[in-house]
Amino acid sequence: MLLTAALALVCTVAPGFFTTFAQVIDLSGNVVDPLKTEGNKAVVLVFVRTDCPISNRYALEVKRIAEKYAPDKIKVYLIYAGADETADAIQQHLRAYDYNLAALRDPNHQLVKTTGVKVTPEAAVFVQGKQVYRGRIDNRFVAFGKLRPAPTTRDLEQTLEAVSKGRTIMRRTTTAIGCFIS
Amino acid sequence: MTPFRYSIFIVLIAAFAAVNPRAQSRSAPTFNQHLAPILYEYCAACHHPGGSAPFSLLTYQDAKKRGKLLTTVTQSRYMPPWLPEPGHREFADARRLSTAQIKLLQAWVDAGMPEGDAKHLPPAPQFNAGWQLGKPDLIVKMNERFTIPATGTDVFRNFVLPIPVEKTRFVKAVEILPGGSQKGIGQIVHHANILIDRTGAARRMDAQDAEPGFGGMEVSIASDSFDPDGHFLFWKPGTVPWVEPEGMAWRCDPGTDLVLNMHLQPSGKPETIHAEIGLYFTDTPQTIFPMLLQLEHDGKLDIPPGKKEFVITDELTLPTDVDVLGVYPHAHYLGQDLQGWAILPNGTRQNLIRITRWDLNWQAVYKYKQPVFLPKGSKVMMRFVYDNSAANPRNPHQPPQRVRAGNRSSEEMGHLWLQVLPRGKDDARPLLQEALMRRRLEKYPADYSAHFNLGAVLQAQEKHAEAITQFQQALQVQPNSFVALTNLGASLQALGQLSEARAAYQQAIQRKPDYANARYNLANLLLAQSRIDEAIPHLQAILQFQPSDAGTHNSLGSAYGMQGNRTKAEEHFQQAVRLQPDNADARTNLAFVLALQGKFDESIPHYEAALRLNPNNADAHNQFGVLLARKGRMKEAAEHFAQAVKLNPDDAGAQENLRKARALIK
Repeated sequence: MLLTAALALVCTVAPGFFTTFAQVIDLSGNVVDPLKTEGNKAVVLVFVRTDCPISNRYALEVKRIAEKYAPDKIKVYLIYAGADETADAIQQHLRAYDYNLAALRDPNHQLVKTTGVKVTPEAAVFVQGKQVYRGRIDNRFVAFGKLRPAPTTRDLEQTLEAVSKGRTIMRRTTTAIGCFIS
Repeated sequence: MTPFRYSIFIVLIAAFAAVNPRAQSRSAPTFNQHLAPILYEYCAACHHPGGSAPFSLLTYQDAKKRGKLLTTVTQSRYMPPWLPEPGHREFADARRLSTAQIKLLQAWVDAGMPEGDAKHLPPAPQFNAGWQLGKPDLIVKMNERFTIPATGTDVFRNFVLPIPVEKTRFVKAVEILPGGSQKGIGQIVHHANILIDRTGAARRMDAQDAEPGFGGMEVSIASDSFDPDGHFLFWKPGTVPWVEPEGMAWRCDPGTDLVLNMHLQPSGKPETIHAEIGLYFTDTPQTIFPMLLQLEHDGKLDIPPGKKEFVITDELTLPTDVDVLGVYPHAHYLGQDLQGWAILPNGTRQNLIRITRWDLNWQAVYKYKQPVFLPKGSKVMMRFVYDNSAANPRNPHQPPQRVRAGNRSSEEMGHLWLQVLPRGKDDARPLLQEALMRRRLEKYPADYSAHFNLGAVLQAQEKHAEAITQFQQALQVQPNSFVALTNLGASLQALGQLSEARAAYQQAIQRKPDYANARYNLANLLLAQSRIDEAIPHLQAILQFQPSDAGTHNSLGSAYGMQGNRTKAEEHFQQAVRLQPDNADARTNLAFVLALQGKFDESIPHYEAALRLNPNNADAHNQFGVLLARKGRMKEAAEHFAQAVKLNPDDAGAQENLRKARALIK
């Protein structure tokens, strides 16, 4: 808490020195704030890694959910939080998995810290700037290497269903299984 | 302003120190000295650039990035994947970390993942990009590509790959490149098994749908004859292919197919498989014959929905001394606790394997570090436990359903395969096969294949009366089995019951007019009874659908020879020899018919070849002696007559020839 507060202060005090320190950028390097929700009913951040087999195995499911709720003005971003993942590598990854979603980089983990995600894949849902869900996409993975043939609970989809129907959202978190964000 | 900023930096530094303590004590493990040796030995085989794992763990940067993952997956023993419990038996290439090694990984992460002094870093292991054993002698490829969908459950698929060899070869090693020249496809292929199919059965299964290959997790090939392979041909990522010891290479005849049984895992994007199999030949033929013994009890697999602990067992008493070389347990997604052991005749117990957390994804063949000796009379036991409750996340059915045995991943299996090498100088495999089939009949009294196989193995031991009983019981279960009818005929014929044998063959031909074995046996029976005109049409019929059958050409040549048609006889013997140069009977027949036509010089090399192939043929020695005598080579002729007499002292003709030859030499 102290650290974040201090950093914010430093940024205001010494702009220029810390411009790229804690910012979310798109693949061209432009600073972006995905949590500004103007025009969107909700924003979904799905944290992934190019080389995480678990998040890769979810590619089709993430695309399906994004397409399903796009008409409800629910915007899905892919967030690459690995500082070691270059924009080129991410571009290649998007092509390989046929992702047509907006992809952002969070190399300094501003979004990781804001949301509290620990692994890839993990999702965070924001409605009017407030986080209403953080956790797994569904319960297919029970542990590393231990998975159900099909999920029995689709947590992310349930949340988005409620958002799209305008129902009252219970804030909740679940534990996701995946590659640790470091 | 300035003092304010100064104070903030102090806070920052303090915060970083708290989050990421860099303070390294003297005893803290380092990557270079402590981690690298573990990662190189246990992880790098898959986790190297271009390897089968999704990321590399060769460098400090690689490991540091995944410190928490390393501790989590090693502590849960998900990685390195190694299912057998310790203390049950030592296996070659075991990939199990010790508790101390796992603690060391944690201590390294706790210490802030220090790199350490570069002088301690051992040389990194080197990996070939393509074939691990070098360029294969023969590469066979899948004839079509197969695409795995981007998502869904795992795919179990079998692909038939014919081996284009023109003569019998011996295969000492098999290597699989799952993706062919593509890289990284090893992540998709979890494991692969290879079956040897000498019957063409897999080709027929493949032809049942338009897709490349056919589905199923463990394929069994029904064989007409007792022709066990005795080899595990198993591949998993990150292992160096197994090379059979001298004398244990397996036989690969022309017409043999390999069936590549692959477990494929969707990756998130569609993947195309175009596997290649590399074969490594040796000139040393197989002289050591192991055998695969299967314990199983699929017939008892009828698991009620919700049942948490469902047990099946099986046992087999060994009829002979064996050394167990390896073990391969197999169950599907409900399998939990898999166990194999043996009780020796003196009552002591020998553990063979125990897996308490079965995981189909990491199934493997385990080879023992030291073969396990089991004396005759040992009882091999298996006990498998299944969980068909909703609490088993891998349960293919939610809510749970009744599950029975089957080849699909939603069905179950319970198999414990052992690779054994019988001791002693006689081939004890028929004894083992007999024990297996008798045990099978205890479990499944009306099992066609058990009766049939038992009949075949008794027939091979020339226990024809017992074999006949088994074939008759097999026919009660499957009255239209032309194979059982043919084998029944052969045993009847061996006992001299010729009219019954003829009837059995004729029934087989009625049911399957293009079944060569039935026609061939019937034709030869008719020839033996001098019913040449009846035999010839059967032999001609076989050549209609199997024009390259050397044995049939040989029999047809004999038939024409018996009719006095030497030209036609020679024509078919020539064909037989061309198709199968090492067929001693065809060589002898060709030599004889050439000699009858006065073509002595052409005849001589065939007699020589025939007697090289079978030096114990008394008739051939006598005939060759006559030919040599006609050519004036009396001394050599006498030697062959002498051989003929030695082999068959009752042969008055050879005795007379020998006497005459010796007289002429003097």
